[in-house]
Amino acid sequence: MNRAASVITLALMAGTGLGLTYMVQRVSAPQIASEQRLLDSRKLLDVLALDAYDNQPLEQPLALTDTTLSHSTLLAGYRASKAGLPVAVLLRSQTEGYAGVIELLIAIDANGRLLGVKTLRHNETPALGGLIGDWPNHWLATFTGKSRNAPDDAGWALKKDQGQFDQLAGATITSRATVNAIHDALRYFDEHRATLLGSGS
Amino acid sequence: MSRPTNLTNTLMLMLLLGTSATLSGALGMLLMASSVVVVYGTCIGPLRSKLSGNSLMLASVLLAATVTSCANILAQRWALQWHQALGVYGGLIALQCVVLEYNGFFRQALAQRLRFFGLASGLLLALAALRELFGQGHLGRGLSEHWQGLVLFSDGLHLLTLVPGAFILLGLLLAARQAWTRSNALSKETHHP
Repeated sequence: MNRAASVITLALMAGTGLGLTYMVQRVSAPQIASEQRLLDSRKLLDVLALDAYDNQPLEQPLALTDTTLSHSTLLAGYRASKAGLPVAVLLRSQTEGYAGVIELLIAIDANGRLLGVKTLRHNETPALGGLIGDWPNHWLATFTGKSRNAPDDAGWALKKDQGQFDQLAGATITSRATVNAIHDALRYFDEHRATLLGSGS
Repeated sequence: MSRPTNLTNTLMLMLLLGTSATLSGALGMLLMASSVVVVYGTCIGPLRSKLSGNSLMLASVLLAATVTSCANILAQRWALQWHQALGVYGGLIALQCVVLEYNGFFRQALAQRLRFFGLASGLLLALAALRELFGQGHLGRGLSEHWQGLVLFSDGLHLLTLVPGAFILLGLLLAARQAWTRSNALSKETHHP
């Protein structure tokens, strides 16, 4: 076998390989992107049960007004619905923790009760306030089922502040900020119920 | 085989240790690796008669890289979650192909090749099953969406889920095999004085 022929064969192989990989990449790219979106939204939406909604909440963000609340700021809102009926509103809330901002995703059902809270971003001390970032989260689960009026305004605080909620050990500021942010979100939901749930209800 | 074989074979350890944390991950990697090796084996056949020596090695590298990158993209397409966890090891399959080529695996008889494949995949799956079972306390989680896997303990030995733990476990398995074959040889000797 002479040298020229092997060089030509190798060059052909390199060209074919590049072309083939490029083709496969081109053909697969849209599907990979949509899979990635699906995975991202599942990660964000796992406060809701998988069969509780059938729309794509993240595709249609709600237009929120007066987003500056007493202890927190709302960044975005999404509506989850099933068969056209709203089942939950998701509020993305940002509050000031011990060591920077805490971003929470707060899910509230159509009756104003809390479905779940998930921490999206935080900078708290690892093993103390940082426990807020765990998922599934035992402490955040204690808020499930609460609403704006149950407990009442005085009850929406840590036991240290004469409220009714336990705190994360050694992380009073983180816990207080979280409780206040959740209460803010529930209050906001109550005040803007009609717009958040849409005209359908 | 010749001595350099042992050195090149250690290149396969990375894939074995890295992907054997869970049974589902190991099964995915086994599927991907075997399809790449099969496609590579079919394509390199006709080239072998045309090229020789260094240019064959170069062709083997090119072909392995092509097949592996295509398989990598397809894995992203069909199993993105698996790919995000173990996809970094996917590129090493190309290295496996080249090592196998270098060792003359593709020139062996079919029965010998199948035997090697069975041994390698058996080792991978056994290591994965042991690591998942004793490291995390369950077996087969993630194989099906509706099945949580066979849960035996609530908590396992965390070390085994890490790569160094895999290395230690592999060492223990090798030691056990050595002890087993030696005791067999000894008992044979005593039976036939």
